[in-house]
Amino acid sequence: MNSTENTSRDKIIFTAQLASISLIWIFVIAIAIWILNLISVSVDLNDAPGISIAISLVAIPVFFTLASILTYVFVGFHKNSKSDLNNTLGD
Amino acid sequence: MTEEKTKTIDIDEALYRPIYETGRGFYLTVGILLMIILFAAFMYVRQVYYGLGVTGMNQPVTWGFYIVNFVFFIGISHAGTLISAILRLSKAEWRRPITRMAEVITAIVLAIGGLHPIIDLGRPDRVLNIFTAGRLQSPLLWDVTSITAYFTASTVYLYLPMIPDIAKLRDRGGKLTRFYDFLSWGWQGTDHQKKVLNRAINILMVMVIPIAVSVHTVISYIFSMTLQPGWHSTIFGPYFVVGAIFSGIAALLIVMIAFRKVFHLENYLKLIHFQYLSTLLLIMSLLWFYFTFSEYLTGIFGAEPHEMDVILYKFTGPYAIFFWSMVVFNFIIPVIVLSFKKFKTIKGILFASITVVIGMWLERLNIVIPSLANPRMELGSGMYFPSLTEWSLFVGAIAVFVLGYVLFSKFFPIISIWEIEEGREESIKEVEKRVKSYLPGPAETSD
Amino acid sequence: MPKWAMVIDLDKCTGCGDCMAACKLENNVAIVSPEQTEEGRVMFWMDMMSVYDGEYPHVKVKRIPKPCFHCDNPPCIKVCPVHATYINPEGLVGQIYHRCIGCRYCMAACPYTAKVFNWYEPEWAEEFKTCLNPDVSLRMKGVVEKCSFCAHRLQVVKEDADAEDREIMDGEYMPACSESCPADAIYFGDLENRESKVFKLSRSPRAFKELEGLGTEPKVIYLSKRE
Repeated sequence: MNSTENTSRDKIIFTAQLASISLIWIFVIAIAIWILNLISVSVDLNDAPGISIAISLVAIPVFFTLASILTYVFVGFHKNSKSDLNNTLGD
Repeated sequence: MTEEKTKTIDIDEALYRPIYETGRGFYLTVGILLMIILFAAFMYVRQVYYGLGVTGMNQPVTWGFYIVNFVFFIGISHAGTLISAILRLSKAEWRRPITRMAEVITAIVLAIGGLHPIIDLGRPDRVLNIFTAGRLQSPLLWDVTSITAYFTASTVYLYLPMIPDIAKLRDRGGKLTRFYDFLSWGWQGTDHQKKVLNRAINILMVMVIPIAVSVHTVISYIFSMTLQPGWHSTIFGPYFVVGAIFSGIAALLIVMIAFRKVFHLENYLKLIHFQYLSTLLLIMSLLWFYFTFSEYLTGIFGAEPHEMDVILYKFTGPYAIFFWSMVVFNFIIPVIVLSFKKFKTIKGILFASITVVIGMWLERLNIVIPSLANPRMELGSGMYFPSLTEWSLFVGAIAVFVLGYVLFSKFFPIISIWEIEEGREESIKEVEKRVKSYLPGPAETSD
Repeated sequence: MPKWAMVIDLDKCTGCGDCMAACKLENNVAIVSPEQTEEGRVMFWMDMMSVYDGEYPHVKVKRIPKPCFHCDNPPCIKVCPVHATYINPEGLVGQIYHRCIGCRYCMAACPYTAKVFNWYEPEWAEEFKTCLNPDVSLRMKGVVEKCSFCAHRLQVVKEDADAEDREIMDGEYMPACSESCPADAIYFGDLENRESKVFKLSRSPRAFKELEGLGTEPKVIYLSKRE
């Protein structure tokens, strides 16, 4: 197996991983937009908007925390591999 | 690459074997399950084509098997993430071979359970109306939100602790290296990566517990937010959560016993694991009985006429057989089997777990149908007989669960390999240190 | 703003079932086959409850017509996930058939069991198809429907009143059941109008509402000397 093929394969996989992370964010943001839309509908119709707002206050942060944890793990993994190249046998 | 593959004969080889060796049994199981699922899918398409008339539902029993199974499956899903999070949080060392299996149950069953309300819809083509015209004020939408949150959280919670194992599979090479490479997110096992992963798992396990509790509480709200007799009860939230954990542990035990047998994991899943978990099952059984007793005693003592109609329908009416077998399956059998060491063998535990799963399904049936069958208005009580469509979709849902599990075990190790390794290397020292820290130190000498 | 309400005089009601038939024809309610009816899928917007008191041979039969109660605090709209059921400012509780997803939560939540579901594609005999009421939209399979207090009649009455630039008169807007009742047992009108017959009857000592304790505030009021 030659190395150029390997690196290009790595690049493709890395892009795919990036895409999956952004997919999570798109999902989370879509949910937030959906919930905000429902709140605006309930405000328009004056149909107990308080309940909707209360639920959104719990739901939206939960989804965003989940996406942030995933991003944190992904970024954390990759930050490390770069610094590892600089000082192998560091610790 | 090939060199590497032959070289790595791990001590945990037994855990890799199911992934690399595919027997005739695997294809046979998948084939049979696919046939069942195809039949169920056909029945569902038929239902969409003709309308919900092909089910046994009617007026006033407007909800049937689909909602019963919805509550049941979501209940089973509490096995996983919740139990695994609690065990991780309490640093129970015996959790190591169990957590992965538990988490997989959650991810698969939650997807199945979450689909049930859609199967139940009269107009599944309009389900997207909940995005454009949804009412977040309706308990059904609370459910959509909390189940989505729980599904996301439990999938993440299943995935993150799997990353080191996926990296192991990647390093072994083989046909699916690229797939594993993609999923392993560049895991090299460096100290920094371990720190990041551990921190993420710690945050998640704290987060996932309230989400799991909220899911079944909200499902109970679907019922308790209405004014119907037998449903309109404040105890429903915790009652459903307890029942969910109860049925979840039973399902987990069944799955563990099945995989132990099929994959020959006797070395990993020892009798002690089953005994510890079944003690938990026993506690939940007693708790379940306590809740059931309180719920019905309040109803009987107050004797509000509509409430009594429902209770009598369950105690002596057409649902007496289901009600009393529920009590036998959920309380009498598990308590007898699990209280005596003599019966606490693998077979005994399997028997008790199966009765609990059946009993908890009956409990959901006893909650959904009798309240609907006894409307407050003087219309007489209704009756409900599930049709072939409902039965086949029920069997189909179970088949999807088994298939999902079998496929998962084909691609990923069913027991967390790195956590077992970590246990071997570190936990004895760690536990020793921990226990020492609990113990009283040398007595202080008084001056 | 008017508040439309119905008063049903059970002392006058003979239990003949004419209201049920009139309602079915007026509102294009599907005709359900006898086998399906046997299974509990009969469709009536105006139903008839039969209550049997006592043991044979001393049985007393009460026949109680039961439409949708058009509650002022309706449990059905609170649970609908898609705004498919609503209450309008005039107190009419309506159903939007084209938005309903058929989850049947409203049916489960209604303490009066007033709603019915289209278990199959609604059907009519060939002869019926020529005389469907053009004012009432046809429903499709898989949606919930219920008594609308013949809201389509209110549209016509409103247009007439607007054209003649006057208020709607008492007794001008009548649902089909009330119009057809041979015993004149069903009254309909505006509760806010102190001159209306319905208002006066609602103050009668014989007046009661079903399941009043639930706080749903139904706008169908029964009159009966019994109980």
